[in-house]
Amino acid sequence: MIDPSMVPTIDPNPLPAPYWLFKTLLLVTFTLHIIAMNFMLGGAFLAVIARFTSKGPLSSENKAFRNRIFLDLAKKVPVFLAATITIGIAPLLFVQAIYGQYFYTSTILIAWPWFLLLVILCIAYYGFYYVVYNGQRRPGPASVVSFISLVLVLIVGFIQSTNVTLMQTPTHWAAKYFASPTGWSNNLSDPTLIPRYLHFVTSAIAVGGILLVLLALARWKSDREYAIYLFQYGGKAFMYATMAQFIIGTWFLISIPRNFRMIFMGDSPLASALLIAGILGTIAAIFLMSNALRKQNIRVAAYGVSGLLAVVTITMILMRDILRDAYLEPYFHPHQFAVKTQWAVLPVFLLLFIAGVGLWLLMLQRYSLFSINKPPLADATPTADAAAETEVELVH
Amino acid sequence: MNYPIWDVSFGAGLLIALVAGLHVFVSHFAVGGGLFLVLTERKAIKTNDHALLNWLKSHTKFFVLLTVVYGAVSGVGIWFTIGLISPTATSNLIHIFVWGWAIEWVFFFLEITAALLYLSGWDKLSPKLHQWYGWIYFWAAFASLVVINGIITFMLTPGSWLDVHKFWIGFFNPTYFPSLFFRTAICLALAGIYALITASVQKDKDLKARIVRWGALWTIPSLLALIPFGYWYIREIPAALFLSARGPMPTATHYAFLAWSLLAVTFILMLLALFTPRRMHLAFALVIGLVALGAMDSFEFVREDVRKPFVIENYLYDNSLYANTMPGDGGFTVDNLNTIGVLNSAAWIDQRTITPDNQVVVGHEIFRVECQACHTANSYRGIHQLLEQRQWDPATTRAMLSSLALMHNGVMPPFAGTDPERDALAAYLNTLQTITPTAATDGKLLYQNNCSMCHQDHPNAQFFSGIVTDPTAAADSFKDLTSIFPLMPDIKLNPAQRTALVQYLNTQRPAAQHAQLSPAVEGGK
Repeated sequence: MIDPSMVPTIDPNPLPAPYWLFKTLLLVTFTLHIIAMNFMLGGAFLAVIARFTSKGPLSSENKAFRNRIFLDLAKKVPVFLAATITIGIAPLLFVQAIYGQYFYTSTILIAWPWFLLLVILCIAYYGFYYVVYNGQRRPGPASVVSFISLVLVLIVGFIQSTNVTLMQTPTHWAAKYFASPTGWSNNLSDPTLIPRYLHFVTSAIAVGGILLVLLALARWKSDREYAIYLFQYGGKAFMYATMAQFIIGTWFLISIPRNFRMIFMGDSPLASALLIAGILGTIAAIFLMSNALRKQNIRVAAYGVSGLLAVVTITMILMRDILRDAYLEPYFHPHQFAVKTQWAVLPVFLLLFIAGVGLWLLMLQRYSLFSINKPPLADATPTADAAAETEVELVH
Repeated sequence: MNYPIWDVSFGAGLLIALVAGLHVFVSHFAVGGGLFLVLTERKAIKTNDHALLNWLKSHTKFFVLLTVVYGAVSGVGIWFTIGLISPTATSNLIHIFVWGWAIEWVFFFLEITAALLYLSGWDKLSPKLHQWYGWIYFWAAFASLVVINGIITFMLTPGSWLDVHKFWIGFFNPTYFPSLFFRTAICLALAGIYALITASVQKDKDLKARIVRWGALWTIPSLLALIPFGYWYIREIPAALFLSARGPMPTATHYAFLAWSLLAVTFILMLLALFTPRRMHLAFALVIGLVALGAMDSFEFVREDVRKPFVIENYLYDNSLYANTMPGDGGFTVDNLNTIGVLNSAAWIDQRTITPDNQVVVGHEIFRVECQACHTANSYRGIHQLLEQRQWDPATTRAMLSSLALMHNGVMPPFAGTDPERDALAAYLNTLQTITPTAATDGKLLYQNNCSMCHQDHPNAQFFSGIVTDPTAAADSFKDLTSIFPLMPDIKLNPAQRTALVQYLNTQRPAAQHAQLSPAVEGGK
């Protein structure tokens, strides 16, 4: 163990609200961020798969449907990416409020990748928009660009995983820094990094499958044939990804140090219950999906599986948090925070937040009620929220 | 010291400047351009101008693709970058203003949603509802400026926050309102300038002319408004700080000059555009944009430069040392480091003792933790270049390190550490120099190399009041500079150099002093 003095001291300003409030806001906003990210990454992944498998010995109808999947998903990806980034600001803020010393230190060690993350993200973002505007007119370049953008966002995710694993292992810091302070360190020596990263990516693919099921639901009445195809495609993607998750999840669980693993295997009743709930929820989701696919019951798949998945996501986020605090236990003691709640500002934030959510919902509602949904054009612009569009399409 | 230092070979400061310099140019457009969209839509509908409306649709796409993608990502980029380069300052700003950031996030969220709906709502929504989204966009974007402005201005003029540590006191600090008005004018000016870019590629010359005239109507009055707002802004900055931009600090002075001149050039170019609106070419639009970018970034540089040596004025130095001792400072204050030393305080250094063998290595580590927030070894603000220019011998470098805080109107933090640590730093800095200094006897050069950092390029009247008029006595007094003023660096010039320096100084004396001097000089002869 390193000299704990290597963990930087916090700045002199007290926490401007109780620790639990920051923790709650961190977990809630991070959950929303991860959901948006899953739709974005899973959507992009399945779009690329659909496009690159639309060739070869398939029926022409099959090919046409896969191309439609590509275009339909591609239109949604920039919107989910906007949501991912916009929502992501909040957990980025709250993590710095309570885990700043760890966060800044680890990002400095991987400073160049961390900095380049945003350059990469920006390029990927424009790439996704290129596909929105050129997906139909220039299918060749659009396929290539969507593939490149997908690879880029996968790299972004890997940098995020690197940072998270590094920020919770202060014992790794000194050696990396003194080997080179140029910000080109990596954390590949951490055995949890790869399985952790794959765990996240695989769950995003599963959620991408759910996105297709939701799109199928929206088209169930208007375009049954395509909707059934979407349902099958998305449902299967969900099931395969989730089954793979059992292997990857186990790998991840084995990779974490034994004392932390045991927290989830008996040492802590809460953590163990969460793990069991997560596993059972996942198994139930697979069975539910498989059943729904067999019976072509889109509603069970769309609502039932999504609902289960939401619960599983929450258990995963909580376990992730428990694991982080276990890693940081030797250094991080929340009760040591000096707290001085800024009563003159906190209510302003809470009021504006509630008003903001209200206005946001009103914006989506008015858009869904009053927009004339024209037939999709080649350069149709993306709507801000897939749910809103789903509603519109259900109304029509 | 508290945090590891990211060693950016070409300069950490340059990286922030690159990221922030481009971001502000887009983010201010994101505010002004929002108002421009909705008012132009109104105007086009009122005047039944279909061509204008069609152009506005494509301009919306340009606007959204630039602001929602690049603007948003680069905004996070500034945050990422300052966290990497000034983690202590970032941590402080987060803890002081976390609810301010959180409020800004709410507006940001509304802003992005409204922008996407406004873009996709063209032809799908009634004009009234479409404009409703436009208005929400604009007000949310403006509100995010209203919030972030409080935090940016706090860094320059924290005012009485330093005593009371209250959120709103720090937020509504002395430069809050002038900066808000100043930046709002920039936002409106940029709305017109960016419109020229998309207007310039229109084939319909009448339409192009209408847009250029309309854009100029936004830009020209806003540019004029920058003058009173700028004056107000400057007046609210403590005079001692703004003095840096009036000569004593070359960088700030140059950028202040650039800011006003490029503003004037932007104004003239916009007038040209207004008089030849049909001929607006993309290249010309881009030139106006680039000049405006130069003006705006020069202003941002002045703001940052006059704040030096602080990230948060009178609270936190650029090198992450606290200005004053306070509970929770972690010992990272100049006073504490002077007492117990860098090697006993800094967490992120490898060496803990100084020996003759490791002196340069220790010096390098001290350079990293104390100087590298702003300087590099040999690129951006490179010490190599500074030393080559000044020709300091090792003893001079060492002496100068004691007086850093006096240079260029106090642009640098004082050296913090023990005497052996200062020697180690000087030893390292000397390795960055390749030329062996010659014993120059050019008085002017001696003055430039050894005195101008604190006494400016040309010594002023006050300078001469401290120097006796008799040349021999003056040259004698330069033997021990600390006897003239205790905080001066203890530079040792040889007799020939001292005489040369005095001879040069005598040519620089103000006329009034010359009159008194003449008899003495003659008497000396």
